[in-house]
Amino acid sequence: MIFSLTLSVADLLLLLPEIFLTCWLCLIVIVDFAFPRMSKDQLAFLSVCGLAGTFACLVWFDVAHISGTVFANMFVLDRMALFFKMFIVATTTLVILVSVQYVDRFTFFRGEYYVLVVMSALGMMFMSSANDLLSLFVSLEFSTLGFYVLVGYLREDFASNEAGLKFFILGVFAAGLLAYGISLVYGETGKLVFSDMHLTATSGTIIGFLLIFAALGFKIGAVPFHSWIPDTYHGAPTPVTAFLSLAPKGAALAILLRIFFVALATFKPVWIVLLVVVSILSMTYANIVAIAQRNIKRLLAYSGIAQIGNVLIGFAAGTKMGSDAILFYLLAYLFANIGAFAVVIAVSQAIGSEEIDDYSGLNRRSPFLAFAMLLFLLSLAGVPPLAGFIGKLYIFVAAIKEGLYTLITVALINIVISMYYYLVVVKKMYINEPTDLSPVLISGSMKAVIYVGLAGTLVIGIYPQPFIDWIISATLMFSNFAAPSPIVIPPAPPLGG
Amino acid sequence: MGEYALLYILFAPFLGALALILVSNHQLVLVRGIAAGSAFVSLIASIYIFSAYDVNAGGFQFIQKFEWSRELGIALHLGVDGIATPLVLASSILLFTGIFVSWHIKDRTKEFYIWLLILAAATIGVFMSLDLFFLYFFYEMSVIPMYLLLGMWGSHTKQYLEMTDPDGLKLRDSVGFILNFGSNSKEYAAMKLVLFLSAFAVVALMGILLIYKYAGLNTFDILVLREQAKLLNISVLGTTLDKIIWVLIFLGFASIAPLWPLHSWSPVGHAAAPAATSMLHAGVLMKLGHFSIIRVAFEILPDTTREMMPIAAVLCIFNIMYGGFVAFYAKDTKYVIGYSSSSHMGYVFLGMAALNYISLTGAVIYMFAHAMATGMLFAMAGWVYDQTHTRDLPSLGGLSNKMPFISACFFVGCMASIGMPGTLNFIAEIMIIVGSWNKYPFQVIVAVLGIVLTLAYLFKMMRSMFYGPMSPQYSHTHDAIGVVDRLPLLIMIAVTVGFGLFPVHLYDVVRSGVNPLITRITQVVPVASKEHESFNVKRAATERPLEHDVPATSGSLTPLAPHVSRGFE
Repeated sequence: MIFSLTLSVADLLLLLPEIFLTCWLCLIVIVDFAFPRMSKDQLAFLSVCGLAGTFACLVWFDVAHISGTVFANMFVLDRMALFFKMFIVATTTLVILVSVQYVDRFTFFRGEYYVLVVMSALGMMFMSSANDLLSLFVSLEFSTLGFYVLVGYLREDFASNEAGLKFFILGVFAAGLLAYGISLVYGETGKLVFSDMHLTATSGTIIGFLLIFAALGFKIGAVPFHSWIPDTYHGAPTPVTAFLSLAPKGAALAILLRIFFVALATFKPVWIVLLVVVSILSMTYANIVAIAQRNIKRLLAYSGIAQIGNVLIGFAAGTKMGSDAILFYLLAYLFANIGAFAVVIAVSQAIGSEEIDDYSGLNRRSPFLAFAMLLFLLSLAGVPPLAGFIGKLYIFVAAIKEGLYTLITVALINIVISMYYYLVVVKKMYINEPTDLSPVLISGSMKAVIYVGLAGTLVIGIYPQPFIDWIISATLMFSNFAAPSPIVIPPAPPLGG
Repeated sequence: MGEYALLYILFAPFLGALALILVSNHQLVLVRGIAAGSAFVSLIASIYIFSAYDVNAGGFQFIQKFEWSRELGIALHLGVDGIATPLVLASSILLFTGIFVSWHIKDRTKEFYIWLLILAAATIGVFMSLDLFFLYFFYEMSVIPMYLLLGMWGSHTKQYLEMTDPDGLKLRDSVGFILNFGSNSKEYAAMKLVLFLSAFAVVALMGILLIYKYAGLNTFDILVLREQAKLLNISVLGTTLDKIIWVLIFLGFASIAPLWPLHSWSPVGHAAAPAATSMLHAGVLMKLGHFSIIRVAFEILPDTTREMMPIAAVLCIFNIMYGGFVAFYAKDTKYVIGYSSSSHMGYVFLGMAALNYISLTGAVIYMFAHAMATGMLFAMAGWVYDQTHTRDLPSLGGLSNKMPFISACFFVGCMASIGMPGTLNFIAEIMIIVGSWNKYPFQVIVAVLGIVLTLAYLFKMMRSMFYGPMSPQYSHTHDAIGVVDRLPLLIMIAVTVGFGLFPVHLYDVVRSGVNPLITRITQVVPVASKEHESFNVKRAATERPLEHDVPATSGSLTPLAPHVSRGFE
């Protein structure tokens, strides 16, 4: 393979958001070191400015339909990549806003926190553009590097250290699997770029892709690769947990979409079985275990695993509509999840606890926080008129068109199970009486994030058409792959299959 | 107004709830004013659509359609026919009166009204949805407000098992007993309600998704699906697909109705709920079940309905007798009314199962009549509870000295519930009984016995609440004196008695909705000829002629229809 690294200015334009953010990252580092006495809040403001600039640039690309590939197809900028980049940048911005107060808890390296967050975001932006196995590996490791540090940021806290260690060991193990898988696939095919692979089903490619799937399954936290999630989410600083529950999942899903819908397109009947199994396991296991949780972060961790199970239904549908549904679901999930974590952070700032029992009577102490949490949890549960409901329905419609009856049945049962544990939190907040009546105060930046979450959850739920249009144009690349199969009424549709 | 009336009815409560969010909880007058005002707008608009509904044209009227999602084939398609119109009216009457019934709520008043308005608006939304997606959307949306209303403002059910288990008689709510885990709290009632309803809503959703897939039209529009969906003759799992879909839809929606044996959430929920919520719950929320079965199963799968509806005819016997007996033995005011509702819903199922013009018209009118009668009873049970802080029948008594007005209204409510001539319930009951006699004589006998049973338990309850010696601890109680307290009861009595004496317009409206439906269900159209017809859906929906003189294609029952109906007009 010959790499021709002749870059023109037009090629560099495609990298503009990343280049801009890299420069800004350096700026943050320099400012942090040059003015050590400067308030770290201003550093947060600086980071948000950089991210906003990047976001504006991405919006410009999206509106102007700028797309293309660089570095011999290693880096692709299409509308789907733009969607995921916007997703990641938006998440990062919101995470920084919810971190502003939380950072005071760290004894050291408060400035570096922002640097690491932005650096991880940068890695994930590369990840959503990765179009071959090498750039996948490099960008994935680049983004995880920041997280290894961030998870263990509360140095004096035992749980945080444990979380960091667990995440690191398992993360490195997953990286090993990924590298092994890549080497097997490359050895069999001699190709690295997803769209160039013309695969034949040899044992090398099968095992190779299974290993790659395992490594990415680790990133998105699908059962059976989920074991790090509860402890890491529990121990990590809460803003990092929020970050971890959104951005890496988005980036990994972008890669999974490219692998399954581009590289493995011809093997659709095979991987559908795999995804159905993983999806059923994720939803059922996570929802049942979540019932027993006493800590809100662990509850949200398991809820996140269950949500990934739902997302995988969209993969199992294996159509253009399935990929639309995945993107839409992510969008709904973004607002509900970041909002829920913002409330968790606000409450833990005020009462210093993350136990569900301590949410008792939150409605009396802060009606706004309780109402916001109510809507976020109900959106996660999939109750109309909130975004989560439309997301779930979109996925179900995509799946039922492909006749995945078993999967949908399991998913519907899981909705009811999940309703229970979300409502337990609602019960604590609304029905139980508080032990302490002091009002819960929230800072302005936190309030802003909660308002963004509420607006997103409600607007997408009530009027989703503009978002659906946007998403449909983002996944146009898949329209040739698998148009929704024509409605064929089979003589005996297998209701069990 | 005019053509946008449905939007006013649906969105006035939502906008009221939105406005309430911005108001401070301390401005009680403003809070109540906004709630009552938005409910009033809704009420006026529903009275308008009820009176302006053109019975000669029939079909769906006041149609509003907004594209909502092209890819999923969803439109906000609103419209009412003769079946939905009275139910929309009932919902808005109960919302308006419910706001006055809960006038004295002190704790978190603003939030109470917000959730009450959302609950009522969601139920109204179900009644006017002509799109399967929005029908489910509003249906599911009505569940969560119930949870919060029960949990936050409800009351605990004391000694639940003792109440349904009188001396020596081991007569228990079996399903409730198994799932009770010894817990009698309002939290338990709320959680049970939500999980029950969500679980069965999801069953209905599966049915809806199957209709969507196998119709292959990429639309959720009921009017399109009912003309063009071809779901027959696909065999699955040893039966046909349409039967599976029908059962999913039926079970899914019947749980909220509540059909025996899926009813156990309902009396528990009634008992735990605050008065206004019980009113809406028993008055309209339960009717969502019947209504959705009519709207989805009857409209889209008429032939399957004809085959499968006997299931309801069998289960309604249990509904009537089981509910009636438990109500007789219950010792809690709200349990008696709750189980009586559950029992009376059996009549609606009987009317639906008989599938002819008279009985289905009776069933729909019964839904309306029952909403008013039960609404009244729950409002007054709530008043008595607020005054005495107990719902325990044996410890009550002699309250008519202290509250003559309430006691008199309660008498009227009981009479209406029993089906006394002069009330609307009488007309509805007699239509159900007459209409079902040819097809289900046994069930009709049970239904008549059920009326006797109703008489027994309501008189028993009335005696132990209002007559006999009064315990001195209730000497501080007082009657409903203010306009605010009397107005809701008077409205509901006026509606019940008014329609009882002058039912013609209500009858015509309901009849115009029932006629085309029953004609569709009873006439057997060969599948082959159905496929060759090309339908202009919109015309079929709006300009369908009203069939007053029914063709004799529908079997031996139909000639009865015009003659008997004349008798009531």
